[in-house]
Amino acid sequence: MSEQPVLRLYIAGRTPAADRAIRNLEELLKDAYGDEASYDLEVVDILERPQLAEDERILATPVVIKKLPPPVRRVVGDLSEREKVLVGLDLQDS
Amino acid sequence: MMVERDSSATEQARGEDPEARRKATPGVPTGIEGLDFILDGGIPAGQPTLLRGGPGSGKTAIALTFFCYGLGQGEPSVLATFDESPEALTRHAEALGFPLRQYLDQGQGRILDMRPDRSELIAGEALELTALLARIGHALDALGANRLVLDAIDGMDESFRLDNSLRAELTRVFEWIRERDTTTLITSGEETDFSRRYGLEEYIADCVILLKQELKQRRMTRLLRILKRRGGGHGTNEFPFLLDQEGVFLSPVTGTRLEARPSSERHSTGIAGLDTMLGGGGPYRGSALMLSGQSGTGKTTFAAAFADAACRAGDQVLYLSFEEATEELLRNQRSVGLELSEHLEPHGSGRLVFEPLLAVELGWEEHLLRVMRAVQSQQPAVVVLDPASALGDPSEDQQGKEMLLRLFYMLKRQGVTVLATELLPDYSGGVSTMDVSSIIDVWIKLIRAEDDGNLHRLLNLVKARGLPTSDEIQEFYLTADGVRITEPSRKGRQY
Repeated sequence: MSEQPVLRLYIAGRTPAADRAIRNLEELLKDAYGDEASYDLEVVDILERPQLAEDERILATPVVIKKLPPPVRRVVGDLSEREKVLVGLDLQDS
Repeated sequence: MMVERDSSATEQARGEDPEARRKATPGVPTGIEGLDFILDGGIPAGQPTLLRGGPGSGKTAIALTFFCYGLGQGEPSVLATFDESPEALTRHAEALGFPLRQYLDQGQGRILDMRPDRSELIAGEALELTALLARIGHALDALGANRLVLDAIDGMDESFRLDNSLRAELTRVFEWIRERDTTTLITSGEETDFSRRYGLEEYIADCVILLKQELKQRRMTRLLRILKRRGGGHGTNEFPFLLDQEGVFLSPVTGTRLEARPSSERHSTGIAGLDTMLGGGGPYRGSALMLSGQSGTGKTTFAAAFADAACRAGDQVLYLSFEEATEELLRNQRSVGLELSEHLEPHGSGRLVFEPLLAVELGWEEHLLRVMRAVQSQQPAVVVLDPASALGDPSEDQQGKEMLLRLFYMLKRQGVTVLATELLPDYSGGVSTMDVSSIIDVWIKLIRAEDDGNLHRLLNLVKARGLPTSDEIQEFYLTADGVRITEPSRKGRQY
Protein backbone atom coordinates (compact mmCIF):
# COMPACT_ATOMS: atom_id res chain seq x y z
CA MET A 1 0.00 0.00 0.00
CA SER A 2 1.65 3.18 -1.09
CA GLU A 3 -0.43 5.42 1.16
CA GLN A 4 0.43 3.53 4.31
CA PRO A 5 1.65 6.08 6.83
CA VAL A 6 5.05 5.50 8.45
CA LEU A 7 5.47 6.96 11.93
CA ARG A 8 8.19 6.89 14.55
CA LEU A 9 7.46 7.72 18.14
CA TYR A 10 10.58 8.67 20.04
CA ILE A 11 10.53 8.36 23.80
CA ALA A 12 13.24 8.66 26.42
CA GLY A 13 12.65 5.80 28.78
CA ARG A 14 9.32 4.48 29.93
CA THR A 15 8.09 7.62 31.64
CA PRO A 16 4.41 8.26 32.37
CA ALA A 17 4.38 10.81 29.53
CA ALA A 18 5.88 8.22 27.18
CA ASP A 19 3.23 5.67 28.12
CA ARG A 20 0.46 8.22 27.60
CA ALA A 21 1.90 9.22 24.23
CA ILE A 22 2.05 5.59 23.08
CA ARG A 23 -1.52 4.96 24.19
CA ASN A 24 -2.86 8.18 22.68
CA LEU A 25 -1.12 7.63 19.38
CA GLU A 26 -2.18 4.01 19.03
CA GLU A 27 -5.80 4.88 19.75
CA LEU A 28 -5.75 7.69 17.29
CA LEU A 29 -4.21 5.61 14.53
CA LYS A 30 -6.58 2.74 15.17
CA ASP A 31 -9.51 5.11 14.85
CA ALA A 32 -8.11 6.66 11.69
CA TYR A 33 -6.86 3.57 9.89
CA GLY A 34 -8.55 0.59 11.46
CA ASP A 35 -6.26 -2.33 12.13
CA GLU A 36 -2.55 -2.19 12.90
CA ALA A 37 -1.59 -3.61 9.52
CA SER A 38 -2.64 -0.46 7.73
CA TYR A 39 0.00 1.77 9.32
CA ASP A 40 3.62 1.44 10.31
CA LEU A 41 4.37 2.67 13.83
CA GLU A 42 7.60 2.03 15.64
CA VAL A 43 8.38 3.22 19.14
CA VAL A 44 12.06 4.12 19.58
CA ASP A 45 13.61 4.58 22.98
CA ILE A 46 16.42 7.08 22.44
CA LEU A 47 18.07 6.07 25.67
CA GLU A 48 18.88 2.86 23.89
CA ARG A 49 19.65 4.48 20.56
CA PRO A 50 20.96 8.01 21.24
CA GLN A 51 22.43 8.31 17.76
CA LEU A 52 18.90 8.27 16.34
CA ALA A 53 18.03 11.25 18.53
CA GLU A 54 21.06 12.99 17.08
CA ASP A 55 20.15 12.10 13.50
CA GLU A 56 16.59 13.32 13.97
CA ARG A 57 17.71 16.37 15.95
CA ILE A 58 15.32 15.61 18.75
CA LEU A 59 15.24 18.04 21.66
CA ALA A 60 12.20 17.04 23.63
CA THR A 61 10.25 13.82 23.98
CA PRO A 62 7.86 12.23 23.48
CA VAL A 63 7.85 13.22 19.83
CA VAL A 64 6.16 11.56 16.91
CA ILE A 65 7.56 12.00 13.42
CA LYS A 66 5.49 11.14 10.40
CA LYS A 67 8.02 10.04 7.79
CA LEU A 68 5.58 9.08 5.05
CA PRO A 69 3.64 10.18 3.20
CA PRO A 70 5.40 13.52 2.72
CA PRO A 71 5.67 16.13 4.04
CA VAL A 72 7.51 15.06 7.16
CA ARG A 73 5.67 16.28 10.24
CA ARG A 74 6.58 16.33 13.93
CA VAL A 75 4.39 16.65 16.98
CA VAL A 76 5.82 16.80 20.47
CA GLY A 77 4.15 16.16 23.84
CA ASP A 78 2.06 13.38 25.32
CA LEU A 79 -0.31 13.67 22.34
CA SER A 80 -3.33 14.16 24.57
CA GLU A 81 -4.80 16.82 22.31
CA ARG A 82 -6.16 14.58 19.60
CA GLU A 83 -7.28 17.26 17.13
CA LYS A 84 -3.92 19.00 17.30
CA VAL A 85 -2.11 15.73 16.67
CA LEU A 86 -4.22 14.96 13.62
CA VAL A 87 -3.68 18.42 12.19
CA GLY A 88 -0.04 18.45 13.13
CA LEU A 89 0.68 15.11 11.49
CA ASP A 90 -1.53 15.93 8.54
CA LEU A 91 -3.53 12.73 8.94
CA GLN A 92 -7.17 12.50 7.96
CA ASP A 93 -9.64 11.66 10.68
CA SER A 94 -12.20 9.14 9.55
CA MET B 1 22.04 4.55 30.96
CA MET B 2 24.03 7.71 30.72
CA VAL B 3 21.17 9.98 31.61
CA GLU B 4 20.12 8.12 34.71
CA ARG B 5 21.39 9.40 37.97
CA ASP B 6 23.96 7.54 39.88
CA SER B 7 22.22 8.36 43.09
CA SER B 8 24.62 6.65 45.44
CA ALA B 9 27.59 8.60 44.17
CA THR B 10 25.56 11.77 44.33
CA GLU B 11 24.43 11.15 47.87
CA GLN B 12 27.96 10.50 48.87
CA ALA B 13 29.16 13.71 47.30
CA ARG B 14 26.31 15.63 48.85
CA GLY B 15 26.99 14.04 52.21
CA GLU B 16 30.17 16.07 52.54
CA ASP B 17 29.96 19.67 53.44
CA PRO B 18 28.93 21.13 50.07
CA GLU B 19 30.89 24.31 50.70
CA ALA B 20 34.02 22.35 51.44
CA ARG B 21 33.51 20.34 48.29
CA ARG B 22 33.12 23.46 46.23
CA LYS B 23 36.05 25.22 47.81
CA ALA B 24 38.30 22.64 46.32
CA THR B 25 36.95 23.33 42.82
CA PRO B 26 39.87 24.05 40.53
CA GLY B 27 39.50 26.27 37.52
CA VAL B 28 39.50 25.03 33.94
CA PRO B 29 41.24 27.53 31.66
CA THR B 30 39.08 29.26 29.07
CA GLY B 31 42.06 30.18 26.92
CA ILE B 32 41.50 33.87 27.62
CA GLU B 33 44.42 34.66 29.87
CA GLY B 34 42.99 37.72 31.55
CA LEU B 35 39.69 35.99 32.23
CA ASP B 36 41.40 32.94 33.68
CA PHE B 37 43.41 35.26 35.87
CA ILE B 38 40.39 36.99 37.39
CA LEU B 39 38.61 33.63 37.73
CA ASP B 40 41.49 32.20 39.71
CA GLY B 41 42.48 29.72 37.03
CA GLY B 42 39.33 29.42 34.95
CA ILE B 43 35.70 28.39 35.19
CA PRO B 44 34.87 25.85 37.90
CA ALA B 45 35.76 22.30 36.91
CA GLY B 46 32.89 19.87 36.54
CA GLN B 47 30.26 22.55 37.02
CA PRO B 48 27.97 24.73 34.93
CA THR B 49 28.99 28.35 34.30
CA LEU B 50 26.55 30.85 32.86
CA LEU B 51 27.78 33.54 30.49
CA ARG B 52 25.10 36.17 29.95
CA GLY B 53 25.11 39.13 27.60
CA GLY B 54 23.07 41.00 25.03
CA PRO B 55 23.38 40.64 21.26
CA GLY B 56 26.90 41.34 20.04
CA SER B 57 28.37 41.39 23.54
CA GLY B 58 30.87 38.66 22.66
CA LYS B 59 29.44 35.67 24.47
CA THR B 60 29.63 33.31 21.52
CA ALA B 61 33.22 34.42 20.81
CA ILE B 62 34.18 33.63 24.41
CA ALA B 63 32.33 30.31 24.28
CA LEU B 64 34.08 29.41 21.01
CA THR B 65 37.43 30.36 22.50
CA PHE B 66 36.76 28.05 25.45
CA PHE B 67 35.73 25.27 23.05
CA CYS B 68 38.62 25.69 20.63
CA TYR B 69 41.21 26.24 23.35
CA GLY B 70 40.26 22.85 24.76
CA LEU B 71 40.53 21.24 21.33
CA GLY B 72 43.88 22.92 20.75
CA GLN B 73 45.11 21.37 24.00
CA GLY B 74 44.09 17.94 22.76
CA GLU B 75 41.00 17.88 25.00
CA PRO B 76 37.97 16.40 23.22
CA SER B 77 35.11 18.89 23.50
CA VAL B 78 31.45 19.14 22.60
CA LEU B 79 29.40 22.19 21.67
CA ALA B 80 25.61 22.18 21.51
CA THR B 81 24.12 25.12 19.63
CA PHE B 82 20.58 26.37 20.18
CA ASP B 83 20.73 29.35 17.89
CA GLU B 84 23.39 29.61 15.18
CA SER B 85 24.01 26.81 12.72
CA PRO B 86 27.08 24.60 13.22
CA GLU B 87 28.46 25.98 9.95
CA ALA B 88 28.04 29.60 11.07
CA LEU B 89 29.78 28.82 14.35
CA THR B 90 32.64 27.09 12.55
CA ARG B 91 33.16 30.14 10.36
CA HIS B 92 32.97 32.40 13.40
CA ALA B 93 35.69 30.37 15.14
CA GLU B 94 37.85 30.45 12.02
CA ALA B 95 37.46 34.23 11.89
CA LEU B 96 38.84 34.32 15.43
CA GLY B 97 41.85 32.35 14.22
CA PHE B 98 40.96 28.85 15.41
CA PRO B 99 41.26 25.90 12.99
CA LEU B 100 37.91 24.54 14.16
CA ARG B 101 37.01 22.83 10.90
CA GLN B 102 40.19 20.83 11.15
CA TYR B 103 39.46 19.82 14.76
CA LEU B 104 35.98 18.71 13.73
CA ASP B 105 37.25 16.76 10.73
CA GLN B 106 39.75 14.98 12.94
CA GLY B 107 36.86 13.92 15.15
CA GLN B 108 38.27 15.63 18.23
CA GLY B 109 35.30 17.90 18.63
CA ARG B 110 31.65 17.76 17.80
CA ILE B 111 28.96 20.40 17.28
CA LEU B 112 25.44 19.26 18.05
CA ASP B 113 22.64 21.07 16.28
CA MET B 114 20.02 21.78 18.95
CA ARG B 115 18.13 24.40 17.04
CA PRO B 116 14.41 23.96 17.49
CA ASP B 117 12.43 22.70 14.58
CA ARG B 118 10.06 25.56 13.90
CA SER B 119 7.50 23.36 12.23
CA GLU B 120 7.22 21.18 15.29
CA LEU B 121 3.82 21.32 16.92
CA ILE B 122 3.19 20.84 20.60
CA ALA B 123 0.19 18.66 21.47
CA GLY B 124 -0.19 17.97 25.14
CA GLU B 125 1.83 18.50 28.25
CA ALA B 126 4.87 16.95 29.83
CA LEU B 127 7.85 17.70 27.68
CA GLU B 128 11.05 16.12 28.81
CA LEU B 129 14.56 17.24 27.91
CA THR B 130 15.97 13.78 28.41
CA ALA B 131 16.55 13.54 24.66
CA LEU B 132 18.75 16.60 24.76
CA LEU B 133 20.78 15.12 27.59
CA ALA B 134 20.93 11.77 25.83
CA ARG B 135 22.36 13.42 22.71
CA ILE B 136 24.91 15.45 24.63
CA GLY B 137 25.78 12.48 26.80
CA HIS B 138 26.18 10.29 23.75
CA ALA B 139 28.59 12.77 22.14
CA LEU B 140 30.56 13.28 25.35
CA ASP B 141 30.89 9.53 25.80
CA ALA B 142 31.80 8.89 22.18
CA LEU B 143 34.66 11.41 22.36
CA GLY B 144 35.57 10.95 25.98
CA ALA B 145 34.98 14.69 26.34
CA ASN B 146 34.81 16.65 29.53
CA ARG B 147 34.52 20.16 28.14
CA LEU B 148 31.07 21.29 27.02
CA VAL B 149 29.50 24.44 25.62
CA LEU B 150 25.77 25.08 25.42
CA ASP B 151 25.51 28.11 23.19
CA ALA B 152 22.42 30.32 23.34
CA ILE B 153 20.41 28.11 25.66
CA ASP B 154 17.68 30.75 25.65
CA GLY B 155 16.94 29.56 22.12
CA MET B 156 15.10 26.74 23.82
CA ASP B 157 12.55 29.15 25.16
CA GLU B 158 11.15 29.62 21.71
CA SER B 159 10.31 25.99 21.26
CA PHE B 160 8.93 25.36 24.71
CA ARG B 161 7.47 28.69 25.66
CA LEU B 162 4.15 27.25 26.65
CA ASP B 163 5.45 24.54 28.83
CA ASN B 164 5.69 25.25 32.51
CA SER B 165 7.81 22.20 33.17
CA LEU B 166 10.80 23.86 31.49
CA ARG B 167 12.17 25.26 34.72
CA ALA B 168 12.22 21.85 36.35
CA GLU B 169 13.74 20.35 33.21
CA LEU B 170 16.46 23.00 33.05
CA THR B 171 17.28 22.41 36.69
CA ARG B 172 17.66 18.78 35.77
CA VAL B 173 20.04 19.66 32.91
CA PHE B 174 22.29 21.61 35.30
CA GLU B 175 22.14 18.85 37.89
CA TRP B 176 23.07 16.35 35.23
CA ILE B 177 26.08 18.45 34.20
CA ARG B 178 27.30 18.46 37.79
CA GLU B 179 26.76 14.76 38.20
CA ARG B 180 28.62 14.02 35.01
CA ASP B 181 31.41 16.24 36.28
CA THR B 182 31.55 18.05 32.95
CA THR B 183 32.99 21.55 32.84
CA THR B 184 30.28 23.47 31.00
CA LEU B 185 29.97 26.99 29.68
CA ILE B 186 26.40 28.01 28.95
CA THR B 187 25.62 31.22 27.13
CA SER B 188 22.33 33.04 27.32
CA GLY B 189 21.03 36.29 25.89
CA GLU B 190 19.34 39.16 27.65
CA GLU B 191 16.33 39.79 25.48
CA THR B 192 13.97 37.20 26.82
CA ASP B 193 15.07 37.49 30.41
CA PHE B 194 15.53 33.77 30.14
CA SER B 195 18.15 33.14 32.78
CA ARG B 196 16.33 35.11 35.46
CA ARG B 197 12.92 33.70 34.68
CA TYR B 198 14.14 30.18 35.08
CA GLY B 199 16.34 30.93 38.06
CA LEU B 200 19.53 29.90 36.31
CA GLU B 201 21.61 32.62 37.93
CA GLU B 202 20.36 32.64 41.46
CA TYR B 203 20.06 28.96 42.05
CA ILE B 204 21.45 26.81 39.33
CA ALA B 205 24.74 28.10 37.96
CA ASP B 206 27.93 27.89 40.01
CA CYS B 207 29.59 30.73 38.21
CA VAL B 208 27.96 33.66 36.42
CA ILE B 209 29.77 35.99 34.04
CA LEU B 210 28.06 39.09 32.73
CA LEU B 211 28.99 40.87 29.50
CA LYS B 212 27.84 44.28 28.45
CA GLN B 213 28.61 47.11 26.12
CA GLU B 214 28.75 50.65 27.32
CA LEU B 215 28.90 53.90 25.49
CA LYS B 216 31.47 56.14 27.15
CA GLN B 217 32.31 59.48 25.65
CA ARG B 218 30.76 58.34 22.40
CA ARG B 219 32.95 55.25 22.29
CA MET B 220 31.83 51.70 22.71
CA THR B 221 33.54 49.70 25.42
CA ARG B 222 33.04 46.01 26.06
CA LEU B 223 32.92 45.08 29.71
CA LEU B 224 32.99 41.83 31.60
CA ARG B 225 32.05 41.23 35.20
CA ILE B 226 32.03 38.11 37.36
CA LEU B 227 28.75 38.08 39.28
CA LYS B 228 29.31 34.86 41.11
CA ARG B 229 31.90 32.15 41.51
CA ARG B 230 31.21 29.45 44.04
CA GLY B 231 34.23 27.86 45.58
CA GLY B 232 36.73 30.41 44.35
CA GLY B 233 37.70 34.00 44.55
CA HIS B 234 36.94 36.47 41.83
CA GLY B 235 37.43 40.12 41.12
CA THR B 236 34.33 42.26 41.45
CA ASN B 237 35.30 44.99 39.03
CA GLU B 238 34.17 45.48 35.50
CA PHE B 239 36.94 44.59 33.12
CA PRO B 240 37.15 46.10 29.66
CA PHE B 241 38.04 43.65 26.92
CA LEU B 242 38.85 43.56 23.21
CA LEU B 243 37.08 41.44 20.65
CA ASP B 244 38.37 41.46 17.08
CA GLN B 245 39.91 39.19 14.48
CA GLU B 246 42.74 38.43 16.89
CA GLY B 247 40.26 37.01 19.34
CA VAL B 248 39.19 37.94 22.84
CA PHE B 249 41.68 39.85 24.95
CA LEU B 250 41.19 40.85 28.55
CA SER B 251 44.09 42.59 30.21
CA PRO B 252 45.60 40.55 32.98
CA VAL B 253 45.18 42.38 36.22
CA THR B 254 48.48 43.09 37.81
CA GLY B 255 47.34 44.44 41.12
CA THR B 256 49.96 46.35 43.00
CA ARG B 257 52.62 43.68 43.41
CA LEU B 258 55.77 44.35 41.53
CA GLU B 259 57.48 41.13 40.67
CA ALA B 260 60.34 42.00 38.37
CA ARG B 261 63.72 41.74 40.03
CA PRO B 262 65.35 45.12 39.90
CA SER B 263 68.13 45.05 37.39
CA SER B 264 71.49 46.70 37.75
CA GLU B 265 72.05 46.62 34.01
CA ARG B 266 71.83 49.90 32.20
CA HIS B 267 70.47 51.07 28.85
CA SER B 268 72.21 53.77 26.93
CA THR B 269 69.82 56.58 26.03
CA GLY B 270 71.67 57.01 22.75
CA ILE B 271 72.57 60.54 23.81
CA ALA B 272 76.03 60.75 25.34
CA GLY B 273 75.32 63.86 27.39
CA LEU B 274 72.17 62.37 28.84
CA ASP B 275 73.91 59.16 29.84
CA THR B 276 76.44 61.29 31.66
CA MET B 277 73.69 63.13 33.49
CA LEU B 278 72.33 59.75 34.58
CA GLY B 279 75.57 58.75 36.21
CA GLY B 280 77.30 57.60 33.08
CA GLY B 281 75.50 54.43 32.15
CA GLY B 282 71.99 55.54 31.34
CA PRO B 283 68.81 54.32 33.03
CA TYR B 284 68.37 50.89 34.56
CA ARG B 285 66.89 48.09 32.53
CA GLY B 286 63.25 47.55 33.46
CA SER B 287 62.67 51.08 34.68
CA ALA B 288 59.98 53.52 33.61
CA LEU B 289 61.03 56.77 31.98
CA MET B 290 58.96 59.76 31.15
CA LEU B 291 59.89 62.65 28.93
CA SER B 292 57.58 65.61 29.33
CA GLY B 293 57.65 68.70 27.22
CA GLN B 294 55.71 71.17 25.19
CA SER B 295 55.31 70.90 21.49
CA GLY B 296 58.57 71.21 19.53
CA THR B 297 60.90 70.37 22.40
CA GLY B 298 62.24 67.24 20.72
CA LYS B 299 60.54 64.52 22.73
CA THR B 300 60.24 62.17 19.79
CA THR B 301 63.89 62.67 18.92
CA PHE B 302 64.91 61.59 22.43
CA ALA B 303 62.56 58.60 22.20
CA ALA B 304 63.86 57.62 18.76
CA ALA B 305 67.48 57.93 19.90
CA PHE B 306 66.72 55.68 22.83
CA ALA B 307 65.00 53.11 20.58
CA ASP B 308 67.96 53.22 18.18
CA ALA B 309 70.49 52.68 20.98
CA ALA B 310 68.49 49.76 22.39
CA CYS B 311 68.32 48.10 18.96
CA ARG B 312 72.05 48.55 18.56
CA ALA B 313 72.55 46.89 21.94
CA GLY B 314 70.57 43.90 20.60
CA ASP B 315 67.27 44.57 22.36
CA GLN B 316 63.84 44.12 20.89
CA VAL B 317 61.93 47.41 20.84
CA LEU B 318 58.22 48.00 20.39
CA TYR B 319 57.60 51.59 19.36
CA LEU B 320 53.98 52.66 19.66
CA SER B 321 53.42 55.90 17.86
CA PHE B 322 50.13 57.61 18.58
CA GLU B 323 50.57 60.67 16.44
CA GLU B 324 53.01 60.02 13.62
CA ALA B 325 52.77 57.41 10.91
CA THR B 326 55.83 55.22 10.31
CA GLU B 327 57.12 57.00 7.22
CA GLU B 328 56.60 60.37 8.81
CA LEU B 329 58.58 59.45 11.88
CA LEU B 330 61.41 57.87 9.87
CA ARG B 331 61.70 60.95 7.70
CA ASN B 332 61.62 63.36 10.63
CA GLN B 333 64.31 61.48 12.52
CA ARG B 334 66.56 61.33 9.45
CA SER B 335 66.87 65.11 9.78
CA VAL B 336 68.66 64.63 13.11
CA GLY B 337 70.86 61.86 11.77
CA LEU B 338 68.89 58.84 12.91
CA GLU B 339 68.29 56.05 10.41
CA LEU B 340 65.76 53.84 12.12
CA SER B 341 64.88 51.86 9.01
CA GLU B 342 67.97 49.69 9.48
CA HIS B 343 66.24 48.12 12.48
CA LEU B 344 62.99 47.52 10.62
CA GLU B 345 61.93 44.52 8.60
CA PRO B 346 62.07 43.52 5.80
CA HIS B 347 65.47 45.09 5.05
CA GLY B 348 66.76 45.69 8.54
CA SER B 349 67.39 43.60 11.62
CA GLY B 350 63.76 43.48 12.71
CA ARG B 351 64.68 44.51 16.25
CA LEU B 352 62.37 47.48 15.99
CA VAL B 353 58.65 46.95 15.61
CA PHE B 354 56.81 50.10 14.82
CA GLU B 355 53.12 50.26 15.52
CA PRO B 356 51.27 53.40 14.65
CA LEU B 357 48.03 53.53 16.64
CA LEU B 358 46.45 56.50 15.07
CA ALA B 359 42.80 55.63 15.16
CA VAL B 360 41.25 58.46 17.08
CA GLU B 361 37.96 56.67 17.34
CA LEU B 362 39.41 54.16 19.77
CA GLY B 363 38.64 54.64 23.41
CA TRP B 364 41.20 54.61 26.19
CA GLU B 365 40.56 51.06 27.17
CA GLU B 366 40.77 49.77 23.67
CA HIS B 367 44.03 51.63 23.04
CA LEU B 368 45.63 50.29 26.17
CA LEU B 369 44.37 46.77 25.63
CA ARG B 370 45.92 46.84 22.17
CA VAL B 371 49.21 47.97 23.66
CA MET B 372 49.11 45.20 26.23
CA ARG B 373 48.30 42.62 23.62
CA ALA B 374 51.15 43.80 21.38
CA VAL B 375 53.52 43.59 24.35
CA GLN B 376 52.35 40.09 25.20
CA SER B 377 52.72 38.77 21.71
CA GLN B 378 56.08 40.43 20.90
CA GLN B 379 57.81 40.28 24.27
CA PRO B 380 59.97 43.36 23.71
CA ALA B 381 62.70 44.50 26.11
CA VAL B 382 61.80 48.14 25.53
CA VAL B 383 58.45 49.76 24.86
CA VAL B 384 58.13 53.35 23.69
CA LEU B 385 54.80 55.15 24.03
CA ASP B 386 54.97 58.32 21.97
CA PRO B 387 53.15 60.27 23.22
CA ALA B 388 51.43 58.48 26.07
CA SER B 389 49.38 61.62 26.64
CA ALA B 390 47.59 60.90 23.35
CA LEU B 391 45.83 58.08 25.12
CA GLY B 392 43.46 60.63 26.57
CA ASP B 393 43.26 63.47 28.96
CA PRO B 394 43.53 61.82 32.35
CA SER B 395 42.27 64.91 34.13
CA GLU B 396 38.89 64.28 32.57
CA ASP B 397 38.92 60.56 32.81
CA GLN B 398 40.00 58.93 36.01
CA GLN B 399 39.78 55.50 34.45
CA GLY B 400 42.26 56.50 31.78
CA LYS B 401 44.88 57.29 34.36
CA GLU B 402 44.24 54.02 36.13
CA MET B 403 44.60 52.11 32.90
CA LEU B 404 47.89 53.84 32.14
CA LEU B 405 49.16 53.02 35.60
CA ARG B 406 48.09 49.45 35.06
CA LEU B 407 50.01 49.36 31.80
CA PHE B 408 53.13 50.71 33.50
CA TYR B 409 52.75 48.14 36.27
CA MET B 410 52.31 45.34 33.79
CA LEU B 411 55.41 46.37 31.86
CA LYS B 412 57.46 46.79 35.01
CA ARG B 413 56.34 43.45 36.34
CA GLN B 414 57.56 41.82 33.18
CA GLY B 415 60.85 43.65 33.43
CA VAL B 416 60.20 45.71 30.31
CA THR B 417 61.80 49.13 30.08
CA VAL B 418 59.20 51.71 29.16
CA LEU B 419 59.78 55.17 27.78
CA ALA B 420 56.72 57.38 27.61
CA THR B 421 56.64 60.87 26.22
CA GLU B 422 54.15 63.40 27.44
CA LEU B 423 53.03 66.40 25.48
CA LEU B 424 52.56 69.29 27.87
CA PRO B 425 49.91 71.65 26.56
CA ASP B 426 50.98 75.28 26.41
CA TYR B 427 48.43 76.21 29.08
CA SER B 428 49.84 73.64 31.48
CA GLY B 429 52.63 75.94 32.58
CA GLY B 430 55.00 73.02 32.30
CA VAL B 431 53.12 70.96 34.89
CA SER B 432 52.49 67.33 34.11
CA THR B 433 48.84 66.38 33.72
CA MET B 434 49.44 62.65 33.59
CA ASP B 435 49.88 62.28 37.32
CA VAL B 436 51.64 58.95 37.07
CA SER B 437 54.82 60.13 38.76
CA SER B 438 54.62 57.52 41.50
CA ILE B 439 55.52 54.81 39.01
CA ILE B 440 58.10 56.80 37.03
CA ASP B 441 61.75 56.13 37.81
CA VAL B 442 63.32 58.68 35.54
CA TRP B 443 61.52 61.88 34.70
CA ILE B 444 63.01 64.32 32.25
CA LYS B 445 61.42 67.62 31.43
CA LEU B 446 62.22 69.35 28.16
CA ILE B 447 61.72 73.09 28.16
CA ARG B 448 61.48 75.67 25.43
CA ALA B 449 62.77 79.10 26.38
CA GLU B 450 62.93 82.21 24.30
CA ASP B 451 65.08 85.19 24.96
CA ASP B 452 66.63 87.91 22.85
CA GLY B 453 64.99 86.37 19.79
CA ASN B 454 66.75 83.07 20.40
CA LEU B 455 65.16 79.73 21.11
CA HIS B 456 66.83 77.65 23.79
CA ARG B 457 66.01 74.06 24.46
CA LEU B 458 66.64 73.03 28.02
CA LEU B 459 66.63 69.74 29.80
CA ASN B 460 65.73 69.26 33.43
CA LEU B 461 66.30 65.89 35.04
CA VAL B 462 63.52 66.08 37.60
CA LYS B 463 63.91 62.64 39.06
CA ALA B 464 66.10 59.59 38.62
CA ARG B 465 65.56 56.86 41.18
CA GLY B 466 68.68 55.04 42.26
CA LEU B 467 70.98 56.97 39.97
CA PRO B 468 73.51 59.68 40.67
CA THR B 469 72.10 62.66 38.89
CA SER B 470 73.12 66.04 37.82
CA ASP B 471 70.90 68.67 39.34
CA GLU B 472 71.75 71.29 36.79
CA ILE B 473 69.51 72.27 33.97
CA GLN B 474 71.32 71.58 30.73
CA GLU B 475 70.89 73.09 27.33
CA PHE B 476 70.60 70.88 24.28
CA TYR B 477 70.64 71.26 20.53
CA LEU B 478 68.96 69.22 17.85
CA THR B 479 71.71 68.87 15.26
CA ALA B 480 72.09 66.91 12.05
CA ASP B 481 74.08 64.43 14.14
CA GLY B 482 71.48 64.05 16.83
CA VAL B 483 70.96 65.58 20.23
CA ARG B 484 73.90 67.42 21.73
CA ILE B 485 73.80 68.40 25.38
CA THR B 486 75.94 71.20 26.75
CA GLU B 487 76.26 73.35 29.78
CA PRO B 488 73.62 76.07 29.74
CA SER B 489 74.74 79.14 27.90
CA ARG B 490 73.79 81.37 30.81
CA LYS B 491 73.75 80.57 34.45
CA GLY B 492 71.28 81.64 37.04
CA ARG B 493 68.23 81.75 34.86
CA GLN B 494 64.86 80.83 36.40
CA TYR B 495 62.78 78.21 34.68
